[in-house]
Amino acid sequence: MAKLELLQSINAHKGIVWNVCWHPAGKIFASCGEDKVINLWSKESQGWAVKTMLVDGHQRTIREVAWSPCGNFLASASFDGTTAIWDKKSGQFECNATLEGHENEVKSVAWSPSGQLLSTCGRDKSVWVWEVAGDDEYVCEAVLNAHNQDVKKVTWHPSLEILASASYDNTVKIYKEDQLDSDWNCIATLDSHESTVWSLAFDKTGERLATCSADNTVKIWKEYKPNNELGVSVSDQESVWKCVCTLSGYHTRCIYDVAWCHQSGLIATASGDDIIRIFKETEDSDPNAPTFDLICKKYDAHSQDVNCVKWNPTLNNELLSCSDDGQIKVWKFVEE
Amino acid sequence: MASRFSGALQLTDLDDFITPSQECIKPVKIEKVKSKTGAKIKIGEDGYFDLSGGKEQKLQKVEITLADCLACSGCITSAESVLVTKQSQEELLRVLSERKYTDSKGVKRDVNLVVMSISPQPILSLAARYKLNVQEATNKLTGYFKKLGVDLVLDMRIAEDFAILEAQQEFLERYHNQQNDPAGKYLPMLASSCPGWVCYAEKTHGSFILPYISSTKSPQQIQGSLVKQFLAAKRELLPSSVYHVTLMPCYDKKLEASREDFYSEILSCQDVDCVITAIELEQMLSNEEKSLADLECANLDWPWEASDESGVWGHAGSGSGGYSDGVFMHAAEQLFGVTNPSMEYKNLRNPDFRVVSLDKDGKEVLKFAIANGFRNIQNLVQKLKRGKSPYHYVEVMACPSGCLNGGAQVRPPQGESTRDLVTHLNSLYRSLPQSEASENSLVSRLYTEWLSGRHSDKARALLHTQYHALEKSDVALNMKW
Repeated sequence: MAKLELLQSINAHKGIVWNVCWHPAGKIFASCGEDKVINLWSKESQGWAVKTMLVDGHQRTIREVAWSPCGNFLASASFDGTTAIWDKKSGQFECNATLEGHENEVKSVAWSPSGQLLSTCGRDKSVWVWEVAGDDEYVCEAVLNAHNQDVKKVTWHPSLEILASASYDNTVKIYKEDQLDSDWNCIATLDSHESTVWSLAFDKTGERLATCSADNTVKIWKEYKPNNELGVSVSDQESVWKCVCTLSGYHTRCIYDVAWCHQSGLIATASGDDIIRIFKETEDSDPNAPTFDLICKKYDAHSQDVNCVKWNPTLNNELLSCSDDGQIKVWKFVEE
Repeated sequence: MASRFSGALQLTDLDDFITPSQECIKPVKIEKVKSKTGAKIKIGEDGYFDLSGGKEQKLQKVEITLADCLACSGCITSAESVLVTKQSQEELLRVLSERKYTDSKGVKRDVNLVVMSISPQPILSLAARYKLNVQEATNKLTGYFKKLGVDLVLDMRIAEDFAILEAQQEFLERYHNQQNDPAGKYLPMLASSCPGWVCYAEKTHGSFILPYISSTKSPQQIQGSLVKQFLAAKRELLPSSVYHVTLMPCYDKKLEASREDFYSEILSCQDVDCVITAIELEQMLSNEEKSLADLECANLDWPWEASDESGVWGHAGSGSGGYSDGVFMHAAEQLFGVTNPSMEYKNLRNPDFRVVSLDKDGKEVLKFAIANGFRNIQNLVQKLKRGKSPYHYVEVMACPSGCLNGGAQVRPPQGESTRDLVTHLNSLYRSLPQSEASENSLVSRLYTEWLSGRHSDKARALLHTQYHALEKSDVALNMKW
């Protein structure tokens, strides 16, 4: 039997806690919420405690925070329409660049694996790609209008410059740069969910993608490259993504977040039914029709909607969650 | 269906998925009649009726026009219901068939003259689509419009030359103003012929960016003045009885034609009544199961003077009309005495952001750029906001690769990339005879005879326009969750 042991419960923010993000070294994490504050937490002898509070960066709710792969920069996406970039070149964390351009609420921000690119998305239905141009300069590389509704989340492939976005239009879009004219194009549309896609996560290879939706399902998508062994037809020399597994019947409400651990391969979900669930791929799973078992279900993980789950990037099975109830919880996944 | 407007417009809340009736925030003016009691309204099957007058009186339906949408900071709707009313192939066909009907019945015409002005980019697009050379495509298009009942089919060289000459002049004025008043907002001068860019600037960056945008009208609107004012007068027609249609490479031009700035109260008409695009023309032909190649040829009209100089012309520089080149060469000569400067552009971050400069005595004295596509508009605006723009002039177009790749140009056939098509269109544009605006004798004559001189108030009034910042209003109704 597997279980989630609660290591610590933190009253973290006034009001909704929207997002948490582990620092790449796994010893610090950042959180943000409705109170327009970003908290940086580190582990003291008494447990996790606030080391730094970043205030006055945004005028409205902060929806997501993201550490750069090098760990030196923190990006924050806000409903005030801006994305702030924080660093501590001066010794303490300061906002040294602001990315403007979205018409209204920015919903998500993510760094590419190289740390050279940044993506944002929001209510104006667009997905933006920014390039780090040095000296606190960020240049807009692309504005992608592939979705026709609010874009909820952006995330990058774990090793390549391939971007994925999830939207209120029920689809997921995948983008990459066309080297010839250095412009970005939508190369695939993943269409199968029956309601808003709230979040998405690549596995460690980047060849599979988990998506979660308000239709109460998690879907697993697999990339079929040109000339794949299975003979799945591929046009225009771009990969196709096929839904190879739908996890339905497990969640009773909207699923707001999905996290695919790059070490253990476990999938965690955050749901509006206040439950955190952990799925594990079965031993003899067929790569073209994989199966997953629900191995852990933490009832009343929070007293309200669970907004976000994040696996610690180091191999320690620690999981963070945050909720509308104002709390952050630190969990340890134990498989007995 | 993906929106056909440029990316810049799509971002400014252009919404294909609501109709005005659902979420429009435009206040409706109701003519109040004094009555002792409150109004009683009956809802009938065919409308709402006001009963307060004792008998049923049908209430007027509220209609939202494109001009309303443009004057509002809320959504711009591209819902068919709005566009179809004024700006479509159906409307053009309706006007033409109505006129055929009145003619056949011997009834007095509402529309005395139908004029079609065709810009070079859609001709090239259609030439490529139907595998014709530019001359054939022009003549077949002309033949097609004539057969539909259009009276005059015109090229737009005069309007384009006017636009370049006015932009050149405006740049010199702005340059001198900036020298005399370094704190003023005169430079960089930003091109104004792209309505997608102008509309985005008005709705999003308002009073900050508008002072930089050139006041020179776009060729479409200059052509509008030429047709409705000069040509109508020459033919002794009421401007409102002339129906003026343009063929354009992008949908945003429909919004431009509908602007209130281009409506004359005195003449009670728009300068351009209807805009159709290359992609709609392709559709009109396919509806009739015709190919452009099979149609009869006709020659372009030349109503301006005796010697016929009609034809499709290009300009040196970009396929968007060559503004950067035109203004640069004029400024180099007038300000620094340099004739025939080297026009070698350097790509900046991508091929859609290109820069050219003029060095004199080891010093960079002029720096111009061409910024196409929304991402480059963004970077330009951000540079300006941070006071880091090094440019004197920027040719800004909302579509990547500029007007040859306009949002309403015919899409490439399956298997062909947009890039290859644009490269082909660019080579077609380069093959056109190049117009040198300052040497266009008809234009100089029109300055004298029509506009009472180069810098007259009349030239200012007819060849320039203004822009309006729109305050954002985030009313509750306008919020979408």
